[in-house]
Amino acid sequence: MEIAEFRAGLHAWLDAHHDQLAPAYSPPGTLDEHIAQMQRVKSLLFDAGWMRYGWPERVGGLGGSPMLRTELGAAIAGRDLTNPGLYSLIEVLAPTVIDFAPPALAAEVVPRLLSGAEMWCQGFSEPGTGSDLASLSCRAVPDGDARTARSWVISGQKVWTSLAQYSDRCVLLTRTGPAEARHRGITAFFVDMNSPGITVAPLEMINGEREFAEVFFDDVVVPADRMLGELNGGWAVAMSILPYERSSCFWQRIAYLYRRLQRLVEAVPDDDRTAEVVGNAFLQLYTLRARSRATQHRLAAGATLGAETSIDKVLVATADHVTYDAIRRLLPGVVEMDDSGVGAAWRREYLYSRAATIYGGTAEVQRNIIARRLLHLGSED
Amino acid sequence: MDADDRALLEATARKAIAGAAAGGREAVDAVLAEIGWLDLLHDEPRAAVDVVFNALGALGGTATVLDDVVVSALGVEPRAELGVLLPPFASWRPPGRIEGSHVHASGLATARAGAADAMWVVCSAGTELWGVTVPISVVDSVVVRGIDPDAGFRSVRVEADVAGATRLDAGAWESAVAFGRRAVAHEIAGASRAMLDLACAHALERVQFGRPIARFQAVRHRLADALVAVESLEAALGAAGDEPSVETAALAKAIAGRSARTVAAQCQQVLAGIGFTTDHLFHRFLKRTIALEGLFGSADEIVVDLGRQLVATRRVPTLIEL
Repeated sequence: MEIAEFRAGLHAWLDAHHDQLAPAYSPPGTLDEHIAQMQRVKSLLFDAGWMRYGWPERVGGLGGSPMLRTELGAAIAGRDLTNPGLYSLIEVLAPTVIDFAPPALAAEVVPRLLSGAEMWCQGFSEPGTGSDLASLSCRAVPDGDARTARSWVISGQKVWTSLAQYSDRCVLLTRTGPAEARHRGITAFFVDMNSPGITVAPLEMINGEREFAEVFFDDVVVPADRMLGELNGGWAVAMSILPYERSSCFWQRIAYLYRRLQRLVEAVPDDDRTAEVVGNAFLQLYTLRARSRATQHRLAAGATLGAETSIDKVLVATADHVTYDAIRRLLPGVVEMDDSGVGAAWRREYLYSRAATIYGGTAEVQRNIIARRLLHLGSED
Repeated sequence: MDADDRALLEATARKAIAGAAAGGREAVDAVLAEIGWLDLLHDEPRAAVDVVFNALGALGGTATVLDDVVVSALGVEPRAELGVLLPPFASWRPPGRIEGSHVHASGLATARAGAADAMWVVCSAGTELWGVTVPISVVDSVVVRGIDPDAGFRSVRVEADVAGATRLDAGAWESAVAFGRRAVAHEIAGASRAMLDLACAHALERVQFGRPIARFQAVRHRLADALVAVESLEAALGAAGDEPSVETAALAKAIAGRSARTVAAQCQQVLAGIGFTTDHLFHRFLKRTIALEGLFGSADEIVVDLGRQLVATRRVPTLIEL
């Protein structure tokens, strides 16, 4: 299906089903309500077929370019039907399972994720492992010889695991080699979150939400056929996420930010100072949109995305900050003092936006990558 | 034009401009004519503008081909002896106005105004738009040295009779401004990347405290920010080429202005002492981008104009799709 045709059909369907899709809660809503809303929207979209485009047929999809599902994510984010921060976990996790899980497992679980029957989380970061992912230490030990073991036993801790308390499964990175092996001693597993020995402790974020959690693994037994990819091949699994995280996820975020700017221009006075602030936010958002569009065209044309997406990451973080700074400047008192539902929603989003230069690789790490890999300035030492 | 043809055109244009740059604008215009600039502009307008203006920026070359871009966007056959009156610095309004039977106009022009036999002048007359060709005899032009004397700009005044003026479509000037903005933004993109290349080369060569300054994270991050700016502009130009419109061209030009400032500031700081001298090439690119930033409106003015449109219509347009 052509992308423009898909977009037109999708928006017509979303218009026609507006009442069914719209959130039932009034703003800001609780995280429980947001999650329930997202799963309900996914279920409706899956039943109507929209959720299946862009995914391979072997996992219940209808095929077509992955850009179709990018359009879908952007369309529902742009209509405030879901929060892309929650929704885009699909793009982070499903492609990985499709590429690295045993085919029968992927065929069983991916449709459950897409249809809203399940939630998954990503167990990468650890207390001692932020930007330096290759230093992770959550350990997986084979029950017997590593090559023939029927199960693995996992012990350790993850942190910043978004939506862990809602999740049925976890794509988990573990240490299976010596610490000195760094990224060559990591193995990925697809772990059921109801396994005995898993404890989830949600963390309260700066905006009051409990979106992410600490996850403790205490001798958790995982069947060997839940290994994703090769033994000690977990780095490839982790890296496979990058192209989607930096393309379709960003396009969803862009749609969400455009929607924020749209709501802002509906609420502001028509004067020169407003024009300047709005114009600057628009310029930054459009810059990001132009860059992300080019990146996705390269991906669709078969390019392997790599270090150059650090530029996209810098731009998405900048646009996020600029958009919410504009909101704070042009709606004085709303973020700071407004106790209405609308005020609470803006406040929560504003505070969340400050993380844009931190999550998914900090602004500094992106600049290090740009300097070394794109500008060829050599190593720092 | 496919990627191979475009790469060939790029190599040809760069070689020609590089060989002629030392000879000044006459030499560069001459080699561009030799490689078939006007035919190229007619047959492959997008590639012609992208490649030639980017190369001019990258090589610090001066030419007057902007006149051909603007003239042809107005539906007039371009030729080497026909100049065009550009808006005044930091403006994009039509440079002329018609009062009664008289044309009053003022603005900037490329160096072509010193050699052309006629100039095209777009004029407003109430809500109407008119175009008139005036003989060079009624054109009063003065060389502007300004920050970048090599750029060859002229300050122009025209007082002429309205005879022979033709009525233009309401959107003709906006469209010509859009073509002009894309061309200038491409030139700024070429110059911005040239500044970054110079700064990176310097950072790798310059040794302080026993190591190349490229190893210091503070330096690396400045250069990384400059690359983000350069590639932002290139993306905006790609989008403006794929989805040409008044708005995408305006955004590309605004992003060009912002990017050039970022690149210039970061690179100048990294180049430090040597970048502050005329011994180093940097100053030429810096001055050229500063001069070009005001053509057809600078970033600040375009941004405020766009912001006004968004607030007035209460709508944020997406402009470009996947």
